[in-house]
Amino acid sequence: MAYEFTKEDLKQIEEIKSRYPEVMPATLPVLWIAQNRFGHVNPEVQKLVAHTLGLPQAHVHGVAEFYTQYYKEEKGKYVLDVCTCLSCQLCGGYDILHYLEDKLGIKKGETTQDGMFTLNEVECLGACGYAPMLQVTNDQYVNHLTKEKVDKLVETLKKGETPGYEKIGMPQHENI
Amino acid sequence: MSTVDWKNYDPVLIPDIKDLHQIDVYIKHNGYKAFESVLKDKMKWPDQKSVINEVKEANIRGRGGAGFNAGLKWSFMPPSDGGARYLACNGDESEPGTFKDRKIFEYNPHVFIEGALIAAYAMEITTIYVYIRGEYRVYIEMMEKAIADAYSKGYIGKNILGSGFSVDFYVHSGAGAYICGEETSMLESLEGKRGYPRVKPPFPAQKGLWGRPTTINNIETLAHVPAVISKGASWFKNIGAANHPGPILYGISGHVNKPGVYELPTGVPVLDLIHDVAGGMRNGKKLKAVIPGGSSTPVLRADQLDGITMDSESLRTVGSMLGTAGMVVMDEDTDMVDVLWRIAHFYHHESCGQCTPCREGTGWLEKILLKIKNGDGEVKDLDLLLDLTTQMEGRTICALADAAAWPVRFTINRFRDEFEARCKKSAFALA
Amino acid sequence: MPEVIIDGKSYNYEGKHKLLQFIQDLGKEVPFFCYHPSMSIPANCRQCMVKVGQYVIDRESGNHELDDKGDKVVRWFPKLQTACNIDVADGMVVHTQETDELVRRAQKDNLELILINHPLDCPICDQAGECPLQIQTYKYGPEGSRFEVKKVHKPKRIQLGPRVVLDAERCINCTRCTRFTEEISKTNQLTITRRGDKNYPITAPGTEFDDLYSLNTVDICPVGALTSTDFRFKARVWEMNQTPGIDITNGKGCNIDLWTRDNLVLRITPRYNKDVNDHWMPDSGREAYKLFNENRISRPLQKLDGEQILSSWNNAIATFNEQIDGTDSKNTLVIGSPHASVEENYSLAKFSNLLGIKQPVFVPHIVEGSGDGFLISDDQAPNTNGCRLLGFTELDVKSIKNAVKKASLIILLSDHLLDRGVLSEKDLDGKFLVVLATNHSHTTKLADLVIPVTTAAEHAASYVNVDSRIQRTFRAKETKYTNRRLDLEMSEGRLDRYGTNFDNWVTEENKIDCLPVWRFITQAASARGLDMVLTEGRQIMEEIASSLEPFKGVNYQLMDEHAGILLKTETELKESVKQ
Repeated sequence: MAYEFTKEDLKQIEEIKSRYPEVMPATLPVLWIAQNRFGHVNPEVQKLVAHTLGLPQAHVHGVAEFYTQYYKEEKGKYVLDVCTCLSCQLCGGYDILHYLEDKLGIKKGETTQDGMFTLNEVECLGACGYAPMLQVTNDQYVNHLTKEKVDKLVETLKKGETPGYEKIGMPQHENI
Repeated sequence: MSTVDWKNYDPVLIPDIKDLHQIDVYIKHNGYKAFESVLKDKMKWPDQKSVINEVKEANIRGRGGAGFNAGLKWSFMPPSDGGARYLACNGDESEPGTFKDRKIFEYNPHVFIEGALIAAYAMEITTIYVYIRGEYRVYIEMMEKAIADAYSKGYIGKNILGSGFSVDFYVHSGAGAYICGEETSMLESLEGKRGYPRVKPPFPAQKGLWGRPTTINNIETLAHVPAVISKGASWFKNIGAANHPGPILYGISGHVNKPGVYELPTGVPVLDLIHDVAGGMRNGKKLKAVIPGGSSTPVLRADQLDGITMDSESLRTVGSMLGTAGMVVMDEDTDMVDVLWRIAHFYHHESCGQCTPCREGTGWLEKILLKIKNGDGEVKDLDLLLDLTTQMEGRTICALADAAAWPVRFTINRFRDEFEARCKKSAFALA
Repeated sequence: MPEVIIDGKSYNYEGKHKLLQFIQDLGKEVPFFCYHPSMSIPANCRQCMVKVGQYVIDRESGNHELDDKGDKVVRWFPKLQTACNIDVADGMVVHTQETDELVRRAQKDNLELILINHPLDCPICDQAGECPLQIQTYKYGPEGSRFEVKKVHKPKRIQLGPRVVLDAERCINCTRCTRFTEEISKTNQLTITRRGDKNYPITAPGTEFDDLYSLNTVDICPVGALTSTDFRFKARVWEMNQTPGIDITNGKGCNIDLWTRDNLVLRITPRYNKDVNDHWMPDSGREAYKLFNENRISRPLQKLDGEQILSSWNNAIATFNEQIDGTDSKNTLVIGSPHASVEENYSLAKFSNLLGIKQPVFVPHIVEGSGDGFLISDDQAPNTNGCRLLGFTELDVKSIKNAVKKASLIILLSDHLLDRGVLSEKDLDGKFLVVLATNHSHTTKLADLVIPVTTAAEHAASYVNVDSRIQRTFRAKETKYTNRRLDLEMSEGRLDRYGTNFDNWVTEENKIDCLPVWRFITQAASARGLDMVLTEGRQIMEEIASSLEPFKGVNYQLMDEHAGILLKTETELKESVKQ
């Protein structure tokens, strides 16, 4: 499959380039644009990014491989990144991870056969007070997980609905 | 010892105001007044230096963990040669236990933007980048909106409020790498590269982004600046602990009833934070241990906490640090071997791989700890672990190796019995 | 003058220096892996740890502060420093591993860490014997390992490109290879992939590491992670002899080392010359090792009934002289060669001169646009300027065809003019062609008489490069008529020095039956009763220097001392004459 940026993408890439004095700084943002467009940045997409920016392919490859959020291959429709780091570990992050492994019938790092879910164990996502939690496909955080909440989440996702933003206020405050 | 009066503290960084993230609400509550004043009130702020001096005087110690006086850092910038100068705002918070800056992005983004603009004015910055970890997609969008609003109100852009001062402001998203919270690694990432920390010297103030003078500040650090400008350095200095003054965002997580982010003065007693602020221990369990300021800060046993307050000086007396003030609370059921293994796993996963001691050492630490966790360790492994920490500490370009080594050393030293109990009996019993 | 104190000894210095390089230049040592003098300094291997401090100067008096014992007070850096990236400063005090236990410990610690994930496969690793990791471990490393858990596994035997193989497990992440493609060859073909202890260098997927300079990464790899596809498993380094030489595959004259075993050149590596090639050379120059071994002409060949047959040297010399005698000197064309050395060309010129034959001509071998402005020149020959400075007539394709047409006897020195499309078979119809050459080719096949001559690996001779720098070669391999044991200038390898005959076998077939051009010419001259004795390159160069203005003052000793001598170019000479 040949990957190509849309006209809008290219316009956005030009705008991003204008934010920096050189082209190379656009590497990370343009990899993001590419991932949002194609769902991953496999070697072919990395090549497209390199060519679009006029940067060495090896450079783009090295960058894509360094950062964990870039998917270097196609993933499931939903990627469930379960945090098990420190606070999440203390609050049952591993229980959630194992529960999801059993529920989806896959091990961490794998994708379900129907291509619906990829399950990952990830490092601290910066939601320590709301543990255990997970992130859906680099986007929304789902906090304070219980088995019931996981069940509900999986059901919703299967229906094609993505979770909305969970607003968690400041416990000191009343208005926020 | 005077205790900090935290019970009557009224938050200023993230005050209890609905919709403060909207620029009009922020302006209505005297938002951007401090910035306007440094731009226009030549009586009060005759030059850039006067702004730097005030911030230096306030002693805002960097809230990213290193605790360096922000104003002093600003003063390291060389005189302007008319070329580009950068402010890179560090919103990459990823140290386990730390989740505070996201509250600023969400509830009071403009106080940070205003602080960054004041910093930019004071240091004659031409472009500001705010680097936000890629996982915070939601907050990245919120910040992009806030910055766009500030542009449209004329607080960012060319000839701001007719003052002749111009600056641009952009969000740069990370993509999953803890190391990019290290300031020079963040610069590499901003330049579009693998996040390898840079060798210092040269320091960023001399050669930062694209070889130009650059200052890097944490989000919360900059968010304190508008209040320092409008209320004065002495106001700030009189809040909290004298050695580490000001309001601070405490992130409390782990086995407490009310985890979350709290804005309070520095110097609050650790036990008050756990038992009063955060609603006490979950399920009525007993407190076992606390990591005071993010996973790299040395763990403290419950019996070490009496009278200890959340500031550098007090924490130093028991052999720990304030770090990011991201406190992780552990109850009596916590398995310290598991906890330490998980921390070691984190640093192993996040080592960039540039320096030998960190690249190799973090993996070795984790593997030995896994062996102990699985019941296959021996007591000699504990001593090997301690030995390895000395082999890593202070031997690398950045502090990640130190951050990986400290928890190992202090957790083993402070919970040695627990670790030994997990080890296999030695074939040769010691007399 | 500013002063730095290293291990208790004071050294004065001028200018700016990095500490590690400074220590190296003193002939002392601090172990390191990632540092390379010609590239940026990442300070990532952390091996070159030293203890660094500064004398404390009393502000008021401006004198050194002294302690109770009267020793100068030193303020030490709180941490050990990497010597590679720290600037030498006045009053700096340095302790290396020679004088400081902490430094020794730090270097040992670091080696232990480097080795935990490094496969201990030295017995089958090509790098063994010339491996910085092996050497430093031997000198400074721990005696054993405390690593009892599982090593990280990474890809092995990855063909990165046509010439370089990667074993990622051996890699210690010094980034020399990636820096090379970024900073030196500028192809940016390599990057480090992954993160942490899973790091290793690689190309972008689907691309090849076909950098024209790719093999330099093999040279600078401090371990056996990058090896040469061609040289892999061919020899252990300690079995080989290392002899300096000059790259003869193009006009740049990169300084090289020829690595021989049993009189076969097994590989060519660059030799440092800051004025010519720094530490580098193009891959193309390395392929030339085959020219020294393969397809060589051994024993003279003579055409009999249209068929070349092996001849004897006596027969060949007799035929050579008969042909000269039987041809009007006006109809004899001597063609010199930009591919041959100054000494070879000179010998031929002197001989023809004595016989009243016209000064030799030559045809430059330049392919416009084939150079890269770095170490590959448009000039395909190593000695074009040498021919010019000898005063040979420079001919283009058209004029050489004309000259050939007029001649009936052609004496051609080491230039495959047919193979490179200058002459055609038709041009040579009915001519008697004598070729002095090293290797068989289409050109030699047409010759009526073929004189096998020595290559740059078998003689000591000089070449003038595109920048008019004269540099010389050394004898690296024996011919049928030379002997390593007797020739004091030939390098002796470990096996030559210490081996018995059973270790150090010598295969006779690898010694080519050929002579240096000057030897052949001397023998031909002597058969004619001419008073002309040319014994070896050194003597010939002295003769050239005393008789030819452009070479005035040149001799081998001077060339050796200065890694070559810059001559005035032809134009510069003309200008100086005008003035």
